[in-house]
Amino acid sequence: MIEDYSPFLPLSPAALHILLSLAGEDRHGYGIMQEVARQSEGQYKPGPGTLYDNLQKLMTQSLVEESPRPPAHDDPRRRYFRLTSFGRGVLSAEIARLETVVREAKACLHAPRRAT
Amino acid sequence: MRTCYRCLLWLHPPMFRRQFAGEMLWIFDQAAESQGAFPLFFDGLGSLGRQWLLRSGWWKIALALSLALFEVVLGGFGAMLFGRRNLVEPASAPSVGSIAEFANHGAIAHQPLTIGIVMYLAVFVTGGLMVMVIGLTFWLKTFSSRRGHAGHRLR
Repeated sequence: MIEDYSPFLPLSPAALHILLSLAGEDRHGYGIMQEVARQSEGQYKPGPGTLYDNLQKLMTQSLVEESPRPPAHDDPRRRYFRLTSFGRGVLSAEIARLETVVREAKACLHAPRRAT
Repeated sequence: MRTCYRCLLWLHPPMFRRQFAGEMLWIFDQAAESQGAFPLFFDGLGSLGRQWLLRSGWWKIALALSLALFEVVLGGFGAMLFGRRNLVEPASAPSVGSIAEFANHGAIAHQPLTIGIVMYLAVFVTGGLMVMVIGLTFWLKTFSSRRGHAGHRLR
């Protein structure tokens, strides 16, 4: 049974970073923001509005779902999110697509230029 | 600034506000010192626009109403050209000559506007408008849900 991920590709930069930040562990919103900033070495810092707009969309598409709050955290405003198996598949498909793009780009950049 | 941000969150669509406003305010409290309050506020403004214009579905109603108004305008022109003439002369079909006569002399201006004609127009215009709004709203709703679930199709 092969699932069709093509309607979701390519992912927007925000969606890619959010899915990537949830690939390792379940996180709350602020945790996702911090992880995205870390992954991009501070070059991309989504605000809460951008983050939750994307999270809402990803939840509608069943790529992300809400996970139960760990018992150690008692702040009721914190909600935790996790990647679904379908979301993990979409992320893997996007990474494979990006790998192809990078490979192609490297080949083009390293090839000698020809006059047209 | 926190109060302004809170007001901004309150202005979001109710569903989004119920789901995320509490945590957004919590993040604002946490991140305002490190990231600055103004970038977070402007991010909230962008979110407000996106939520109302793109996500809440109001654009569907706006599009349906715009098309319905377009239909009313077209219907009005149609009534001016054909409808009233047919009411006066039901047996005769509109011809190129009658349109040219209207264009040259404004023949419609010579006919009195009766309450019957106004009622006739009002009923048809209101009915057409309602049918169009309801039809477009339902069609766009199913169209969006089909697009949302397109990824779950199995190959």
